[in-house]
Amino acid sequence: MTRRAAAALCLLSLLALAACTGPQSALDPAGRDSATLSRLFWFMLAGAAVLWAAMNGLMFYAWRVDPRPMSVRGARTLIFAGGVVLPTVVLSGLLGYGLSIMPDQRAPGDGLRVEVTGEQWWFRVDYWPDGAAEPIRSANELVLPVGSRSEITLKADQVIHSFWLPSLGGKTDMIPGRVNRMSLEPTDVGEFRGQCAEFCGESHAWMAFTAKTLSPDDFAAWLTAEAAPAAPPRTDLARSGRDAFMAQGCGGCHAIRGTPARGQVGPDLTHLGSRLNLAAGALEVTRPDLIAWITDPSAIKPAARMPAYDHLDTGTIAAMAAYLEGLR
Amino acid sequence: MAGRDKPDLPAHRSLFRTILAPTVWAVHFLFVYGFSAVWCAKDWGAAGTLSWSITAATLLALALIVGLAVAMWRQWDYMDDNDYIHDLSTDEHRREFLGHAGFMLACLSFVAVVFSTMPAWFAGTCL
Repeated sequence: MTRRAAAALCLLSLLALAACTGPQSALDPAGRDSATLSRLFWFMLAGAAVLWAAMNGLMFYAWRVDPRPMSVRGARTLIFAGGVVLPTVVLSGLLGYGLSIMPDQRAPGDGLRVEVTGEQWWFRVDYWPDGAAEPIRSANELVLPVGSRSEITLKADQVIHSFWLPSLGGKTDMIPGRVNRMSLEPTDVGEFRGQCAEFCGESHAWMAFTAKTLSPDDFAAWLTAEAAPAAPPRTDLARSGRDAFMAQGCGGCHAIRGTPARGQVGPDLTHLGSRLNLAAGALEVTRPDLIAWITDPSAIKPAARMPAYDHLDTGTIAAMAAYLEGLR
Repeated sequence: MAGRDKPDLPAHRSLFRTILAPTVWAVHFLFVYGFSAVWCAKDWGAAGTLSWSITAATLLALALIVGLAVAMWRQWDYMDDNDYIHDLSTDEHRREFLGHAGFMLACLSFVAVVFSTMPAWFAGTCL
């Protein structure tokens, strides 16, 4: 390889640094757990860099600096020290350090309690405030208060999923028939992205969620608003959209609190308009995206469970989209 | 006494003796994982007690491995002739080769058993 090509490759590899920040990066922590994990990563990376430099230094020494053969005794000592003692000591140290951060990662949450269930292919999110008899149900969006440790219960409906919100913490599997748990303690206010991290079927790659962290006061206000029933439609278009929604039987699968729609098969849509994403991160909550989704979900997410409504005329679908967009 | 004059016992020809230490490692590994899983699933008691039980099993396994390592070291008989190349088709070379291999496997098993115990010391909880 010419020097110029090598330099170009080095420059190109800098592009990989773009992944070090952003809403879904474990290297850009916004929570106590992710900060620990990020520290672990840099510590391990530094260790790997030292070992890499030492190995290449030795190779350079033996090859260029002093290529004469070593004595048999010296070679044996080197093999024993470098091949047995060094790896044992280094691996013990790294394993010990890695394990020492485990207890904090598994600390019990003493704040909010949230239950997240992996569905095909979206996340059901139930908030259980203190003393609640029934949950405040949402979907595909996790809102957490900053400064306290929230306890998160993880379940799965049909198949295995994995809950991963890199900006805030590690990942934990969601397994049908099992209740797993994790806890997260956000330290920064912001918006983040999480992703299902265990292959769960055709639309696994389209199974994401957004996360919002709020100050304790903002969170309390948000939770009160989230617990309220859906806002009634304000425009004629939205009202006709609501009528079409009910007439088409959408309420058989979706719930909109405060209306006859009470289905629990699909995501709760009570405050869909205020969420940061549609269809588990596949789309945004805008009218064109809502129209595209209602018309043919499987065209956007392969094998999506929701049937296509392309037999409806475009005006009806546009009205439904207007209604859903207004559910704030 | 030179290596070639030593008795060649049936145990010195046994391949099974050579892999006994890794077998102790395997049994210990299965015990640690199986026992922890059942202990936590059945909620048998405090995680501290579990940690101590695993440590006790580890001490037992390490004692067995050290015993095997000593036996294999003697069979290798390195201090006798400093011989670590065993490429001849003779009783002495077979005996020393199996001892040499068995000794190194015992050292590996020792480290491995310690490594599989470390999570129990650090985790401190079933959750």
